[in-house]
Amino acid sequence: MRLFAKLGFAAALALGPAAATAQEEPIKFGLLQDFTAVYTFVSGEYNQGQQDYLTLVNEEGGIDGRMFEAIVRDTGNEPQRGIEAYNRAREEGAILFDFLSTPVSRAIVDQAMQDEVVLITPLHGRGDAAAGQTFPYVFPVMATYWSQAAILADYINENEGGLEGKKIALVHIDSPFGREPTPILEDLAEQESFEFRAFAYPSPGNEQSAVWSEVRRYRPDAVFIWGAGGGQSVSVREAIRNGISAENIYSVVWLAETDAQNVGVDAMEGVKRYEAVATGTDNPILSRMVEQVIEPGLGAGGEANVGSSYYNIGVATMAVAVEAARLAIENGDGPLDGTALKNGFEMIEDFDAEGLMPPITITTEDHQGGGFGRVARWTGEEWEPVSDWTTAYQDIVRSEIDAGAAEYSGGN
Amino acid sequence: MAYFLELLVNGALVGLMYSLAALGFVLIYKSSGVPNLAQGALVMMAAYAAWAMVDFGLPLWAAVIAAAALMFAFGLLVERVLLRPMVGQPVIMVVMLTLGLEILLRGLVPGLLGAAPKPLDIGIGLAPVIVGDVFMNRAYLVGGVVAVVLIGASMLFFRTRLGTKLRAVSDDHVASWAVGLSVERAIAISWGIAGIAAVGAGVLWGSVQGVDWTLSSLLFPAVAVVILGGIDSIKGVFVGGLAVGILGSVIPGYLDAYAGGSTRDVVTSLIILLTIMIRPYGIFGREDIERI
Repeated sequence: MRLFAKLGFAAALALGPAAATAQEEPIKFGLLQDFTAVYTFVSGEYNQGQQDYLTLVNEEGGIDGRMFEAIVRDTGNEPQRGIEAYNRAREEGAILFDFLSTPVSRAIVDQAMQDEVVLITPLHGRGDAAAGQTFPYVFPVMATYWSQAAILADYINENEGGLEGKKIALVHIDSPFGREPTPILEDLAEQESFEFRAFAYPSPGNEQSAVWSEVRRYRPDAVFIWGAGGGQSVSVREAIRNGISAENIYSVVWLAETDAQNVGVDAMEGVKRYEAVATGTDNPILSRMVEQVIEPGLGAGGEANVGSSYYNIGVATMAVAVEAARLAIENGDGPLDGTALKNGFEMIEDFDAEGLMPPITITTEDHQGGGFGRVARWTGEEWEPVSDWTTAYQDIVRSEIDAGAAEYSGGN
Repeated sequence: MAYFLELLVNGALVGLMYSLAALGFVLIYKSSGVPNLAQGALVMMAAYAAWAMVDFGLPLWAAVIAAAALMFAFGLLVERVLLRPMVGQPVIMVVMLTLGLEILLRGLVPGLLGAAPKPLDIGIGLAPVIVGDVFMNRAYLVGGVVAVVLIGASMLFFRTRLGTKLRAVSDDHVASWAVGLSVERAIAISWGIAGIAAVGAGVLWGSVQGVDWTLSSLLFPAVAVVILGGIDSIKGVFVGGLAVGILGSVIPGYLDAYAGGSTRDVVTSLIILLTIMIRPYGIFGREDIERI
């Protein structure tokens, strides 16, 4: 019932009492996401964080009196439904879109660029969209999967006795997303002199025993797990069952508190993951959200989600988007349309959402924001950062971005 | 050799876990003559039901019993609301109806109870059972035992008076009516029993991977199991499950490194295709099965 309630309310989200007095139309963001199919493991908390952040901004008076409105609809991870939802939201005046779905985002890229509206693709979508000169209206905003793999490898290099001579296994879901880190890790293996091998399991990953028998015989020093949803907890369980120490398991960003509960909070102690955004509520933005949005009952979902990994990622995405809108309004002299908002994104410099995320700088060439992140370790109770915000091997990552962008340009 | 044995044993156990999901499929077909494409969603729903009961505060054993009662009732409801109006209609329409039910449940249940994966701890540790150099998955070992028990119980059930009535109804609705058997009641009971079987599959698979919508994807291997074993054969569920599990473990275990990706779904697809081409009624199925 929570989902339907959320969707129902969101369609006409009255984001705070100040909205009634606003002189201008609200700034509309289309948060058209997959609430019923593949991305359900993340979309509920993520979208809740997005809506709650916009509510906070409105409660605090908006930007120069301009309020924000979230248009929330379900795409079911289907490009056709995504396109339909996009067109409706466009007609309603949305100037920014977030689909949190790689297939839907990919289907919209050309249309969004043609319509000159902003498409943000945090932690999903095309990695090569970081090439701003090729994808002027698409903003990954956070580290691509290539950058995430690079940061995890760099952590081993800096903290686990170096990469040289080690064996790294990538155990991934057999999909384009799962295969994404392979070229980066192959390049790094050559550069840093370690051995690398990839192992694929079929989607959705509820049964991986045969793959892990093979991984165990490979005797890796570290294992990168690259999946999402229930498949991630199966990966951790199988790794531990096959004698791989939890300390040697490294995950893509999609490993959260719910996965720890599925594996067993104690059994998962020591597992590390790439982290894009800080978790918990020990942050000025989250503190204000609790005070002004959650406690007064203005939140878009369950209170228990506030401060969770995916909730905070949602908050951070909207913090970046609102910052872009603020810069666009302050520095522009025309209406806030898609082009003005795009220019606002490209003005973002060292923005860290009051410490919630790494400081990102977005330029016309780099829409990824530098590819920052950090490594966090599951303590048995929570995710604890074990590295500072950092970026790694961006020369190799950039070559992948440019190669992908060149291929896209060649095909268009 | 140890590697082969490990693939073989774990594959067999996984196959028996698939058999649990396939059992409800066969129970419904054997009783009502309807291939139930909603079986994956029933497994998912059963897991959600068990999780909800545990979350509500019931101990696991009570949660499983309560979930079984709930799923039995849901099976009866499906018959009363959806299937009874379809009696006498072409089988293909009933099949399409079960497909619609699958899609509906897959969206509705996570929508109501939450889509994020939910833990269902049934107390099986992560440590493997090690025999020689072979690591056996403890959860699959338990699942395999439960599957064998439930399959055996199902075989015995169809030798009871009620089971015989269900088989008669499956054979010929009109003749069953003529001799005074209640076709509607028989179909309702078969759906109810399939709901109970789904609880076994849902709880065991849910404990392995967490409870979420992806449990409904067990329909694919379950279909392979029933096609290979025979859509109306409980013995076939057992043998088909073993075969699908072993082939889906051993072949990818050796082939994946060369294929550059996972070949298990390819193996499962080939099992379905080759069985239909060579022996459409499966290993233990009756030859007079109506193909759709």
